[in-house]
Amino acid sequence: MAKKILQVEDMHYVYGNGKPALEGVNVEIFQGEKIAVMGSNGSGKSTFFLNINGVLLPEQGKIIYSGITVDKKNIKELRKNIGIVFQDADNQIIASTVMAEVGFGPMNLKLPKAEVHKRVEEAMEYMNITEFRDRPPHYLSGGEKKRVSIADIIAMKPEIIIFDEPTAALDPLNATMLEGVLKSLEAEGKTILLSTHDVDFAYRWAERILVFCHGKIIADGTPVDIFNNREVLKQANLKQPAMLEIYELLLEKNILNGNANKTYPRHVKDLRKLLEGLNS
Amino acid sequence: MVKNVILSVIFLVALILILLKERKYCLRKCRANNHQHGASHKHGEWISIDFYSYASQIRGWNPVFKVSFAVALVILCIVLDNPYVSLIVIIAMAYLTIVRGGLAAREYLSVLMIPAAFIIISIFTIVIDISKEPAGHFNLHMGFFYIFTFKAKLEQGLLLMLKVFAAVSALQMMTLSTPSSEIIYVLRRSHIPKLIVELMNMIYRFIFILLDVSAKMKNSALSRHGYCDLKTSWHTFGRIAGNMLVISLKKANAYYDAMEARCYDGELVFFEEYKKIDKKLVISSVGFLIFLSIFPWITI
Repeated sequence: MAKKILQVEDMHYVYGNGKPALEGVNVEIFQGEKIAVMGSNGSGKSTFFLNINGVLLPEQGKIIYSGITVDKKNIKELRKNIGIVFQDADNQIIASTVMAEVGFGPMNLKLPKAEVHKRVEEAMEYMNITEFRDRPPHYLSGGEKKRVSIADIIAMKPEIIIFDEPTAALDPLNATMLEGVLKSLEAEGKTILLSTHDVDFAYRWAERILVFCHGKIIADGTPVDIFNNREVLKQANLKQPAMLEIYELLLEKNILNGNANKTYPRHVKDLRKLLEGLNS
Repeated sequence: MVKNVILSVIFLVALILILLKERKYCLRKCRANNHQHGASHKHGEWISIDFYSYASQIRGWNPVFKVSFAVALVILCIVLDNPYVSLIVIIAMAYLTIVRGGLAAREYLSVLMIPAAFIIISIFTIVIDISKEPAGHFNLHMGFFYIFTFKAKLEQGLLLMLKVFAAVSALQMMTLSTPSSEIIYVLRRSHIPKLIVELMNMIYRFIFILLDVSAKMKNSALSRHGYCDLKTSWHTFGRIAGNMLVISLKKANAYYDAMEARCYDGELVFFEEYKKIDKKLVISSVGFLIFLSIFPWITI
């Protein structure tokens, strides 16, 4: 059993205008998990992220990080160990060169300068942006800015990395790049939380899905469970991923007979294997 | 004395010729641009300065060296007050920016021409006086009054212009080869109050963000006939200005969240890489400065 890294108990958050954004969120996150967070706009995903990052303080409820209950004194620990890649890179990039930007987080961690330098070089290498090191952010393209904003967080070496709708506003090439980055982060054992509206992507990538609706988590389970639960899909205005729909259609038309261990295909190549296995 | 005047007059004539030519070139360029992109938004002259400084080939020089060299030159120009020194500085700076920096001569001149208009106007106001009776070596009857000037004043004005141009071109050399972030770094190193340096950093970043936002809003207003006549244009302008305020407040909030998420705790510190000082460069520039400072005594 993996180590429990973050536990949220009965989290409530109300915005300044009196509108409640979170109404009792309970969740446990284990080390190395790949979690997709889904739900319609305004369902509380981003607020949830800002709360578990310690930027917003919950009205009520407890956050337990690595067995330590977070309070006002050690809230910095939370920010140190959980990084957010914001949805709009233009709302995150603050410095006037790429290198200074990537170094902003490590500098705030009060690391020695040599260590900051090392981390900045590593993160830039990781995201393949070393060639832009001295470039001001306004001379970068959208995809390049996204890479910079991810390098920002990688340089801080957090345990949990949150991506807030990373695939929005990315072209297919950059989206593929992002999936590659997610894969290598996962290989390093990082815990990843990612919010998205792309059901196909969530189905193919995630190990676990949290569904938010009106400030509550209404479902928490594996992608197959979530996407087969019509009730949840309807409530959260989600639709089934194409792959799942096709697979069920194939079952329904008796082209495939439900294999005994019920392995759902996640990628096209899985489906191909199933279909080819049929012929042989 | 006469030589000085001739020198300055030649310079002035050349300046005016360049100004006129530049205007024509600009107009042509603008027309060509509009032709190509339709509603392309232009960011104005100073954004191109930002870009030139980024593209300059002498950007790699240590910024502290560049800034102190430029400042030393400005001080020398003012203290020595010698037209030859000023001319040498003007030529040397043009050499540094165009030949070493790799900026096109036309672009360099067009940037240098921005302050030219101001300088010429202010020199005129220094040189020319107004009186009710004819006076001075030259005067011009303007109906109720005379404008007049003296030879000595004219000469003084021309020398002053040369001096100002030399100082401006020294600073221009600095701005055209040093990105703003590096200039801010130099200021921070020279113990300018933290608040000012942080503000400069933020302002520099936000100028571009707000320009981007305003360009987008302008385009969307344009696509909905927001500028079809004068009255509507005024209305649209007001709406955009109001919206900009709201958006900048929102952006400020979003930025603050993003900064807090990265452990920001009230002090804005950025990581900067130290650029090596080229010893040869320092020696040659110090040599140049010494040459300039003893130059007036050689010629006399």
